[in-house]
Amino acid sequence: MKKIISIASMFCFVLVLNAQEKIQYIEYDLPNGIHVILHQDSATPIVAVSVLYHVGSKNENENRTGFAHFFEHLLFEGSENIERGEYDELVESNGGTLNANTSQDRTFYFEILPSNQLELGLWLESERMLHAKVNNKGIETQRSVVKEEKRQRVDNQPYASFITEMFLRSFPNHPYNWVPIGSMEHLDAAQEEDYVNFYKTFYVPSNATLSIAGDLDIEQTKKWIDKYFASMPKGQAINLYRDYLAYDNTTFQTKYGVEKNVFDEDLFFESTDKKAIAKINEFSNIPTLVKRTQKDSEPIDGIIKDVVYDNIQLPALFMGYKFPEQTNADSYALEMMNQVLSGGTSSRINKAVVEKKQMATFAFSFNYALEDSGLGIFAAIASKDVELDDIQGEFDMQIDKIKNELISDEEFQKIRTSIEANIVGMNSTVAGIAENLANNHVYFGSAEMTNTFLNKYLSVTKEDIQRVAQKYLTQDRRVILHYLPKEEK
Amino acid sequence: MKNIKYSLFVILIPFIGWNQVDRSIIPAAGEAKEIKLKDSEVFTTSNGITVILSENHKIPRVSINYISGADPRIEGDKSGLSSMAGELIMSGTASLTKDELDNKIDFIGANLSASENSIRLSCLTKHFSTGLSLMEDVAKNASFPKDEVNRIKKQAESNLSATKSSADEMANNAVVKVNFAGHPYGNVMTEASLANISRDDLIAYYQSTFTPQESYIVIVGDINRESAENLVNKHFGSWEGKKPFKKKYPSTNRNTGGNKVYFVDKPGAVQSVIYITFPVDMDLSSSDQIETKLLFNILGGGGFGNRLMQNLREDKAYTYGCYSRLSLTDNGSWLSAGGNFRNAVTDSAITEIMYELKNIATNMVSDKELSMTKASSSGRFARSLEQPSTIARFALNSIKYNLDKDYYQKYLQKLNGMSKEMVLDVAQKHIPFENCNIVVVGNSEIIDKLLPFDGDNNIELLDPYGNPKERMRPSDLTGNQVINNYLMKVTGSATMKEVLKKNKSIKTYKEVTELSMAQMPGALTLTKMFKSPKTSSMKMEMNGMVLQSGYFTGKKGFNQNMQTGKKDLTKDEVEEKKKSFGLFPQLNYAKNNITVEAIGIEPKGSDEYYVIKIIDGENEEFQYFNKNDFLLANTLSIVTAPEGGEPAENSVEYSDYKEVNGILFPQTQIMSFGNVTFSGTVKSNQINSDIDFSEFNEK
Repeated sequence: MKKIISIASMFCFVLVLNAQEKIQYIEYDLPNGIHVILHQDSATPIVAVSVLYHVGSKNENENRTGFAHFFEHLLFEGSENIERGEYDELVESNGGTLNANTSQDRTFYFEILPSNQLELGLWLESERMLHAKVNNKGIETQRSVVKEEKRQRVDNQPYASFITEMFLRSFPNHPYNWVPIGSMEHLDAAQEEDYVNFYKTFYVPSNATLSIAGDLDIEQTKKWIDKYFASMPKGQAINLYRDYLAYDNTTFQTKYGVEKNVFDEDLFFESTDKKAIAKINEFSNIPTLVKRTQKDSEPIDGIIKDVVYDNIQLPALFMGYKFPEQTNADSYALEMMNQVLSGGTSSRINKAVVEKKQMATFAFSFNYALEDSGLGIFAAIASKDVELDDIQGEFDMQIDKIKNELISDEEFQKIRTSIEANIVGMNSTVAGIAENLANNHVYFGSAEMTNTFLNKYLSVTKEDIQRVAQKYLTQDRRVILHYLPKEEK
Repeated sequence: MKNIKYSLFVILIPFIGWNQVDRSIIPAAGEAKEIKLKDSEVFTTSNGITVILSENHKIPRVSINYISGADPRIEGDKSGLSSMAGELIMSGTASLTKDELDNKIDFIGANLSASENSIRLSCLTKHFSTGLSLMEDVAKNASFPKDEVNRIKKQAESNLSATKSSADEMANNAVVKVNFAGHPYGNVMTEASLANISRDDLIAYYQSTFTPQESYIVIVGDINRESAENLVNKHFGSWEGKKPFKKKYPSTNRNTGGNKVYFVDKPGAVQSVIYITFPVDMDLSSSDQIETKLLFNILGGGGFGNRLMQNLREDKAYTYGCYSRLSLTDNGSWLSAGGNFRNAVTDSAITEIMYELKNIATNMVSDKELSMTKASSSGRFARSLEQPSTIARFALNSIKYNLDKDYYQKYLQKLNGMSKEMVLDVAQKHIPFENCNIVVVGNSEIIDKLLPFDGDNNIELLDPYGNPKERMRPSDLTGNQVINNYLMKVTGSATMKEVLKKNKSIKTYKEVTELSMAQMPGALTLTKMFKSPKTSSMKMEMNGMVLQSGYFTGKKGFNQNMQTGKKDLTKDEVEEKKKSFGLFPQLNYAKNNITVEAIGIEPKGSDEYYVIKIIDGENEEFQYFNKNDFLLANTLSIVTAPEGGEPAENSVEYSDYKEVNGILFPQTQIMSFGNVTFSGTVKSNQINSDIDFSEFNEK
């Protein structure tokens, strides 16, 4: 009897321990439209300063693909007050670290600094937002850096072009048609006008989310944010200022009808000349609007089957299914479905295709969830002398199985554990929290999702998993790519 | 009316103005924050474990780290025992095979790992109890399965072969050996010591190390005191281990008679690895460690601003990087300053590093250096605190070394309070700039330049593992004589004429070798074929997948691999190939103006070897022939890289010669390419069988 009680009490305490502390934060908008999110955590005297610009490759002109990512590189080149090469140095010599990344949907910049350098981080990001400065040398340098990056990450990696090929065929009528790395020819063709327009269109306060997490004093931080970010005007006035910096007097006058010298050179936005004041006010009232892309739920046009020749030895199979946008209620069940199929070495695809039948050297599936749409991708690199059609047959059997049978309790338990471990890990650093809060604000319209994500997953049932498998794994609508060695062409 | 409106508008302007700031001013740093580290709880178990608990409920995850209370021991002729035991602890327990253990860990999404004196678990709070059961099993019942012991020993063998081609590893071995003679830190595994390690030794080490007495358990994360105490008592409270091994060794071993030069020969090296090194009398309880770390950061830690980097890279361009590193540990600490330098500037580099050591120990550092180094050090310190393992380490250090209660809390303030005077004080105390150990790994051609640095004009030679080595003695035979003896030996011939005749009778040759790699499971198959006069091929496969292949007709050919695809041989490569064909490339040397030079006779272990240098234009190869039987023991080739890249080094060790059709073939071949090592076992040698090149023919 005693034993039973102790086991029961043990059980209770496990449940108690499981309650996760909520991530607390405050959020507000500046008059110029910047959305601010602040999360205070003083456990470590560091602070992560991040700015998310809601611009990714899907906002690019189809003749300038790769531009969003290229632009990310350019924005480390300097500003009106930061010399070329000084940006990195300022961060590193003050004990910090920095980086950035670009997806189809957004561009994200961050610094992790000692918390007593928070003001420096805010200044750096505000410089980038207000008046980044790029010269031709910088453009040339970054162009070759980006080309090198593409060579390393895509061209020289066997099979790596499958994402490009898959999106190309799955999204004929949406800018997901191309991927963030884009086209090097387009980058070569870019003119000065392209850079200026991109900056003026997307790098404006109303398109930015400033997310800061770490050891910070909320009131002091707000003051600094006012100083460096709220001091930027709203609307198109920021672009009036940028043109003032960039244009000679004649060009400026032709465009705006006033001479440059009516403005105060050092305190542009506090110019006292009446004409200047009028201009600034006029342009503050013209909003900066970013044209948003539409959600894409257009089904794949039947079975699209193609062959891609690559520098490879072993043929490979890639299959793509149209999944919904990441905010769709079904995406949680789809992610859990994917865990059953491909989460870890004991998952169904790995056990069946790789270990038991040894049809493939690698086989896996994953969900590519984006703001406007998504793809579920199945991939396998064939073992020697195995036909791709046979691997497809095996994949199809696995797909039938998950559509026709509920998953086992044991599998269900395992995927819940792994999903939970993954989500918990996402919030283990202040940089991770800053990023999650910003992402969730931008994509879900709710930073609070950071606290409720796990519940969404944990409320998925085995039946839900079966239902979404039936709904989205459409065998008559999918892209099937065969990767074959170039010599066989 | 219109006017009024307008004037109102003007009046309003200042109020809705943007308070523009002077953006040209870079914001200054605020005051360094006090670190709010939560106090750790400490309790002990009845069987002698000190448990340190650092609660952090931010995320529902817990990590627990067991650290043995045993002292490191001198391993002597079994050097490497402890590190090998550490690798094997996760290889299975009395009730679980390695696969079963791995699966159970995966099922709860946990991380469980071990080292030579610790075991660490990290998982979600709700799986902590399950995870602890696995950790308990590993701590108490690791079974050291025979096949796993063999696997890890094989892996260690490959790593040892790689050591001999890694100047950096050889330098590290030499550094610990010269600083820590007669001390456990001087344990460096050799082929001989590896062979001496038995499964029983491993088990004995495990039992006298993984034991509760005097050990520590550090728990960090989402757990309260009561649960922690219950769980530790449940899983480890009744653990009855053996007595831990205890013995302290003096930690410092400084020179007294001036600087001492140690040289490790790396044939053909075009760069020297230089470390100026000395023990530092300090451990984690020393009160002057903050200023000492600051001192060595200014000298050569971290980024570009430090003195060694400024002088040797920015100013003199002797190197890509020159650093100093303070290794601060429980049982002994040391400093190493140096980097990689071109042969020609080896002596100048030593002069400059010695100058910097003396300078910083005799003159005050500048204000700017001090403040910049403080800034980057405090940033690094602060960022490291986000890792729960850092907090755990601090909690442990505080207890173990009896540090002030607020030592880490106040760390940044203390760091910022350091003055130039304090830095000079520790520099004078810790830098013996006239009694350093100077370790150089490099080309023996530069050794004479090092003599002036040695206090007693007597450079000590070390082998790749840092053990004293005898000097090479002059060869009694010429290079060609040694090679001819080798050729006669392997072909079973009495004269060179007979060798040529036998060679001519070989029309085809095929060799299949199975290769295994330490870092990778599964075997690779290497197939080499040759057909007289000059056709040859190679193919490397894994599970039927061809990773790499090459083919040469005598006039043209190609190489192919998974990354770059198929590439035809260039004109230069064709010329290269033409020189080296058949079973005995040595037979073609004379025709191709390849020179052969006997460097000397080198003692190694109980045998002696003729060292022969083969020079072909820019490329060099060294061949080592056993003096007893003239069999080729190993080759070492240096391939210069185009465009100023690092030269690559390939080495092959040959052993277990076996006779096939009257010719001796090595059955074991250990190949190292850079830092990748393959252990090869020959599966077949076929002479004059039918061979088929059709798979290589152009389609």
